Amino acid sequence: MRPVVVSGVGMIPFERRDEDSLVDMLAMAGLKAMDDAGAGDRPVGAVYVGNMASGLFNHQVSVASALVDRLNLFPAAADRIENGPASGGSAIKNGFLAVASGFYDAVLVVGGEKMREVIGPKATDIVACMTHPQAEYIYGVTLPAMAGMFTHLYMEKYGVTRKHLAHVSIKNQDNGLLNPYAHIQMKITMEGILTHPQAHINNPVVAEPLHLYDCCPVSDGAAAVLLTSLEMANELKRPDVQIVGIGQATDTHTLQERADPTDLKAVTIASQQAFGMAGIQPEDIHVAELHDAFTILEIAESEHAGFFPKGQGAKAVARGETRIGGKLPINPSGGLKARGHPVGATGVAQIVELVWQLRGEAGERQVKDAVNGFSLNFGGFGNNVLAFVLRREA
Amino acid sequence: MNTITAYQCENCGQVMYPAHLRCLNCNEREFKEISPSGEAKLLTYTVVNELPWGIDERGRILGIVEFEDGVKAMGLIRSEKLKIGMKLDSGWEVVRVIGGERVYGLSFQG
Repeated sequence: MRPVVVSGVGMIPFERRDEDSLVDMLAMAGLKAMDDAGAGDRPVGAVYVGNMASGLFNHQVSVASALVDRLNLFPAAADRIENGPASGGSAIKNGFLAVASGFYDAVLVVGGEKMREVIGPKATDIVACMTHPQAEYIYGVTLPAMAGMFTHLYMEKYGVTRKHLAHVSIKNQDNGLLNPYAHIQMKITMEGILTHPQAHINNPVVAEPLHLYDCCPVSDGAAAVLLTSLEMANELKRPDVQIVGIGQATDTHTLQERADPTDLKAVTIASQQAFGMAGIQPEDIHVAELHDAFTILEIAESEHAGFFPKGQGAKAVARGETRIGGKLPINPSGGLKARGHPVGATGVAQIVELVWQLRGEAGERQVKDAVNGFSLNFGGFGNNVLAFVLRREA
Repeated sequence: MNTITAYQCENCGQVMYPAHLRCLNCNEREFKEISPSGEAKLLTYTVVNELPWGIDERGRILGIVEFEDGVKAMGLIRSEKLKIGMKLDSGWEVVRVIGGERVYGLSFQG
């Protein structure tokens, strides 16, 4: 395999974007990544679009071909890649493999989702289509409900409390205030979401024990990266950040068939694969973007990825170790919680944030001297997980 | 009574629900059908206020239970007082209407 460089990155602010179609958003983000790389009129071998459900949300399919058309990237190969909430991560992985193998020299990877075209309960139903049709979906289970059942078990086993979860949301919304691309730009406090007697009015139950501020918003958005060979990156004078580790692992479709449902095996395996390929350990990571669709997931993933022992992730966030300036800043972007989670965009947006952090271009939310970055994109309810290690080359 | 169909591997005895074409434990392909019913233990639950399109209610309780024969399954929980580990009796009822069709599934009373 040859080295793969992230030569260009770009994204559009995540928010409710009534004026833009999905393909508009993909095109804007894609063009930003190409311009960031200074790619000019150079040909792109392939375009991979990470998207979960354009057919259901937007009544449009074949969106990768539509994107090539919009950007005049003919005759580039074009594929839409679907892996639920990890569609973006899967698109990045496939772009990496295509460049690493030598098949293409440049691949444009764009992740995007336009979810706000439908009303909230419809979006909830579309997202719930990833659950098992007979064993889960028919009961009206939602992704927050899956996370709620998981949270009860995690609380019982590891002593995680609602206060620990609130620390995650407060930290990530503080970080989001420093990120102009974040959907939710709002300061929240422990009093406002948890300790005041009226806090439940601000922060109602979504799926017990998870409340509104434990859950990511429903967003529209797109993010893009241009992956190139080292040769092309040198020509573009953008050789700085490489993808040096990738892992991907699966687990049972339903939560109940896992021997220990609190054990996110796919997170552990994918992370170990990524660290192994990069030849580094979790303690060598300077900044991490984790998949906090629900606050509990940031805690559980930080443990399963190997950053903290099991049961210690909640304590670490309460001690401030995962803030910007802490021992291991997690989700300086604001994470899914504040940046938003346009499902197919997330895995790509995580890589975009890491590249900004590793290049030193992250502005007010910059993590000092970051050389190694890690991201985790969590598909299904942990049944298909991708992990990445990025490195700034000296 | 009506209930789900679960599967037990003829080779190693592994109990599975939902169906797989190869055993999750030993990869063998022959299974005996089993119909779990009766008492079940509540493993975890949640109270869902934001339900998907088509379910016009709030506060639906969903849980995962384990039957005495080892089958684990999701279902509606019809109990006021909830505690992980509590025993529930299984039932079978309309759990959702999809495209005008009434869909039956597991429910549990405590």
